[in-house]
Amino acid sequence: MAPGMIHVRDVVMRLTSGGRVVTVLDGVSFDVARGECVAVTGPSGSGKSTLLGLVAGLDAPTSGTVLVDDVDLGALDEDALARFRRDRVGVVFQSYHLIPTLTAVENVMIPLELAGVTDARARAERLLDEVGLGARGHHYPVQLSGGEQQRVALARAVSRAPGLLLADEPTGNLDSETGAAIIDLLLALNRERGSTLLLVTHDPALAAHADRQIALRDGRIVEPIPA
Amino acid sequence: MSAGAGGGAARFALAMAWRETRAGWRHVATVLVCVALGVAALVAVGSLSIDLQQTLAREAKTMLGGDVEVRASRLTPPAVVTAVESLRAGGAAVARTRELVGMARTEGGGSLLVEVKAVDAAYPLYGSVDSVPARRIGDLVGGNGAVVEERLLARLGLRPGDRFALGAATLVVRGVVTREPDRPASLVNLGPRVLVSHASLDRTGLIAFGSRVRERWLLRLPDGIAPAEARATLAAAIDDPSVRIAAYDEAQPGLKRFLEQLGMYLGLVGLVSLLVGGVGVAASVATFMRRRRPTIAVLKCLGVDAPTLFATYVAQTALIGLAGSIVGVVLGTALLPALVAATREIVPFAVDGGVDPLTIARGLVMGVTITLLCALWPLLRVRDVRPAEVLRQDVAPGRFVDQPVEVVLPITLGLSALALWQAGSWKIGGIFIGASLAALVLLVLLARGVVWLARALPRRGALAWRHGVGGLMRPGGQVAGVIVALGAGVMLLEAVALLEASLGARLDHERRRETPSFFFVDVQSDQREAFARVVHEAGGVTPRVTPVVRARLAAIRDEPVTRAMVDRRRGRQGEQPFFLVREYMLTSAAAAPDGNRLITGRWWTDAEASARPRVSLEEDMAKFLAVGVGDTIAFDVQGLRVDAEVMSVRHVDWQSFTTNFFAILSQGSLDGAPTMWVATARVPPAIEARVQDAVASRFPNVTAVAVRDVLERVSGLLGQMAFAIRTIAAFSIGAGLVVMIAALTATRAQRLYESVILRTLGATRGVVARAFAVEYACLGAVAGVGGTALASALAWIVLELLLDTPWLLAPLPLAAGVAATIVVSVAVGFLATWRLLGQKPLPVLRRE
Repeated sequence: MAPGMIHVRDVVMRLTSGGRVVTVLDGVSFDVARGECVAVTGPSGSGKSTLLGLVAGLDAPTSGTVLVDDVDLGALDEDALARFRRDRVGVVFQSYHLIPTLTAVENVMIPLELAGVTDARARAERLLDEVGLGARGHHYPVQLSGGEQQRVALARAVSRAPGLLLADEPTGNLDSETGAAIIDLLLALNRERGSTLLLVTHDPALAAHADRQIALRDGRIVEPIPA
Repeated sequence: MSAGAGGGAARFALAMAWRETRAGWRHVATVLVCVALGVAALVAVGSLSIDLQQTLAREAKTMLGGDVEVRASRLTPPAVVTAVESLRAGGAAVARTRELVGMARTEGGGSLLVEVKAVDAAYPLYGSVDSVPARRIGDLVGGNGAVVEERLLARLGLRPGDRFALGAATLVVRGVVTREPDRPASLVNLGPRVLVSHASLDRTGLIAFGSRVRERWLLRLPDGIAPAEARATLAAAIDDPSVRIAAYDEAQPGLKRFLEQLGMYLGLVGLVSLLVGGVGVAASVATFMRRRRPTIAVLKCLGVDAPTLFATYVAQTALIGLAGSIVGVVLGTALLPALVAATREIVPFAVDGGVDPLTIARGLVMGVTITLLCALWPLLRVRDVRPAEVLRQDVAPGRFVDQPVEVVLPITLGLSALALWQAGSWKIGGIFIGASLAALVLLVLLARGVVWLARALPRRGALAWRHGVGGLMRPGGQVAGVIVALGAGVMLLEAVALLEASLGARLDHERRRETPSFFFVDVQSDQREAFARVVHEAGGVTPRVTPVVRARLAAIRDEPVTRAMVDRRRGRQGEQPFFLVREYMLTSAAAAPDGNRLITGRWWTDAEASARPRVSLEEDMAKFLAVGVGDTIAFDVQGLRVDAEVMSVRHVDWQSFTTNFFAILSQGSLDGAPTMWVATARVPPAIEARVQDAVASRFPNVTAVAVRDVLERVSGLLGQMAFAIRTIAAFSIGAGLVVMIAALTATRAQRLYESVILRTLGATRGVVARAFAVEYACLGAVAGVGGTALASALAWIVLELLLDTPWLLAPLPLAAGVAATIVVSVAVGFLATWRLLGQKPLPVLRRE
C-alpha cells in the first residue's frame, strides 16, 4: 500500500454525452504524498474536474483504482463514500455550492453538526472570523459577494480539519484581485492545518503556488511528474 | 467517534428538517392546507358521529320513555296488564300511552292528518314535554284539552284556545308542544302531534274502528330491579311475540344502526378529502424534492449519507403533516356546529356538539400517516441524487432504480389499512378501497390519454390553442395529479347532485304520474258506498277500494311464531325481526296486481283458490322467512287461523305510491274476517284539500294520507342529508383546487419563460392568457368528464344496489358538473398565474 495521501492508478473515465461515449480520462496514474500541495492544470475539457470528482468519491471511474488516505474508494458504496468525505475530505467548488436556504454560519455548521460536534455554531462563527466574515454569519448566500461566498465555502471545507482538501477552480468565478486573496487564504488554511491540497486550475499563475503540477490534456497526463 | 457521529446525524437531520421547512414556505403551505382540509372533514364527521351515538346512549331512557317499554299494537293482551300491574305492585312507576293516526277537523271544514297520542298523569317518566305555556302535560290535557304542534295551528288556521274535532270528540287547544322526549324516531312523520288524555281518546270513538293503535306501557323500575331482569320477567309472562318488550339499553336498534351508517358513510366521504389531500402532498413533495436536488447533491458532497438525508425530509414532512393535522382539528371542530345543525331534522334528539379526544387523536394519526405514506415515493428520490451533479448536469441517475412494487405495495397497504380503520368494516372498507383504486386507475388513464393525445395530434389552429395544448406536456406539470385530485372532488359533489336529481326526479315522477293523491285508511264496510259518493261529489272521481284484513304471522311451515323464535331471529344489533312481528295488511285477489312481477311460481286458478287458501309473497318476505313455492304459512286473522300454501313470490316496487301488499291471499280465503277498506283516489292538486275536508267531515274515523305532503317531507329530508354530504365533499374539492394551484406554481418558472419568449416574439398578453386558458380548460374538462363519469357510476351503484331506485340519466347535472369544473379550473388557474403576464420580458431573459 502506498504511503501517500492519493494513489491513482490506470484510471479511465468514459461518459455518455448526447448519446456519444466520450473518454474523459484515459489511463491516468499519479500519487500525492501527505502534506503535499499539487496543482492539476490543463485547458477546459481536459478532465481536471472529473479527476477531482473521482478523488472526492463523487463518482466512480469506468476502470482503474483510486486510493485516498489508504481507502480504496471503489470498495465503498454511496453512503460509505459520503461518510468518508464527511470525516476526511474537504471540497471547494468553482461555483461555491453554498446551500441558498441556509445562512453563512449554518452552511459552515453542516460538517460539524454531522460529526456530532456540540458547539457547532460557536466553532462555525470562529471559522468565519478566521476567513474575515465574522460579522456576516447571519447573511444568506445571495446577500454575499462571490468572494465572500467562496470564503464561506472555504470555512465550510476546512471546518473539520480534513486530511485532504480538494479545490476545483476556486477562483474561476472571481475577479483577479479577489481570486488572489482567496488563494492566499486557501494556502494559509492548508498550511496551518498541515493537510494535503489538490488544486484544479487552468490559471498558470495560481498553479505556480503549488509544490508541483500535473498537466492534463485530452484525458492524459502530458508532462512528466517531477519526483 | 462513530457513536458521536450517529447522534450527530440524528441531530443534524432534525436541524436540517427545520431549516428546509423554513426554506420552502410554498411547499409547506400546500401540504399544510391539503392535510388540514382532509383532517377537518374527518374530525367534523367523526365528532358528529360520536356525539350522535353518545347522545343516543345518554338519552336512551328518555327516548324510550322508561327503563322498560311494553308495546302492543291493536288490542293489548290481558297478560300484559297482569304482568305490568305485578311490577307496579313491586314499586315500579308506570305510564301508559296510546297512539294512532287520525284526522283533525275544524268548524270551518278544514282537515289535517295528525298523530294522536293519549297520555296519563304519570307521563313522562323521564325527560319532560316542553310546551307553551310551560305547565305539566297532565294538567294541559285535562278535560277536553289538547296540546298540539305549531304545524297544526298553522295548517288549520287555529290559535291557542280554539276548538277542533277529532273523531267524535271536540278538543280545545290548551298549549303548543315544542319537544316530546319519546317521539318515535321515524324519519318522516305523517302529521303533527296532538297530545290528549286517555278519556279524550276514548271519546273520539276512533279506537272502536279497529284503527291501528299502538299502546305502550312505560316502566320506571325501583332500585333493586335491573331492566334486563324486568324485561325477562315480562317476556316470560307475555308469550304473544307481537308484543315488543324492550329495556332502554336495547331500544332504538334501528336508529342506532342508521346513525352508525350515517357516520360511516360521511366518514368515508371525509376520507376521500384526505386522500385527495394526499395526492396534493405527493405532488408538492415531488416538486419540492426536485427543487432541492442541487442542495441534496451539495449535502452529499459534504458527506451526508442517504439515510440521514431521507430522515431529514421524512422529519420535515412529518412536521408539516402534524401542523396541518392540528390546523385540521381546529377547522373541523369549528365546522361541527354547522353539521350538528344540519342533522336537526334527521335526528330525533338534540345533539350537543362535544369534541371527542379519541376522534381528535385519530384525526392527527390519520393526517400524519397519510402525509408520510403519500410522500414516501418522492422522498425516496433522495437516493437518486448523485453528488457528482455538483460538477456536471448530465449525471446518470443513481442506483435507486424505480421498483414500483416495492414502493407502491407498502403505500397501498398502508392506505388500505387506514381506509379499513375509518370504515370500521371489512366489507365497506374493502368496497371503498376497490372503488378508490378503480377511480384512481380511470383518472390516471384519462390523464395519460390526454397527454398522449396532446403529443400525438397534429398541431393546428390558433397560436393560443397550440400553446395551450402543448402546455399539457410541460415537464413536471403533474397533469395526472391534478386530474386525479380534481376528478375525485368532482366525483363526490357530482354524485350527490346526481343522487338528488334521480331521487328528485323519482319524487316528481310520482307526483305527476297516475299516483293517487290520497290513501284513505279504515273505511268501514258499511261506509263504502257513502264514502265513494262523497269522494265523487267533491273530487269528480271514483275511488279505488281494496279490502284489507289485519293479521299477524302465526306459523311458518307449521312452526309457530313464538317469542323464542323472534328472539332467535333478532338482527345483529338487536333489531326486531320485522317480518315475524309486524301487523300485516292482507288482501285477496283473483289476479296479480298491476306492477307486480312474479319471480317464481304462478298465480292460482279459480279451482285452486276454491280448494284451499293460497298465498303470494313479496320477495323480501319470502327470503326472510325462508319459504318458497309449496311451503305453507299461517296467519292469525284476529283470532281466526288461516293456513295458506305459497304459490308464487312477487317483486313489488315499494317506491311506487300505490297500495302494495306483502302477502296476497287467494279469493275467498278471507271471507268472514273483519274486513276494512283502503281506498285510493287521484284528484287535481287544486281540489285535494276540498276532497280531504269533505271526507273528514263526513267520516271522522277515516284517515286520509295526502301523498303530496309525504313526498314533500321526503324531499325535504333528502335535501338535509344532501347538505351534510355536500359539506364534507366540498373539502375534497377544496383540496383538489389546492393541488391544482400547487401544480401550476410548480411550473411557474417554465410558464414565465415561455410567456416571455412568446411576448418577445410579438405575442400580446391576450394571446398568452388565451394559451393559459386553453390549458386550464383542458385540465378542467378532463377532470370534469372523468369525475362526472365516476359520479354516474357511484350514483348508479347507490341507487340500483342500495336504494333499489332506477338510475335516471340526468343530462343537466352532468353537463353542469363538467362546465363548472372547467370554469373553476380556468378561474383558479388564472388566480395562480395572472401575475406572470405582467412581468417585463428583459429581466426574465437576462436571468435565464
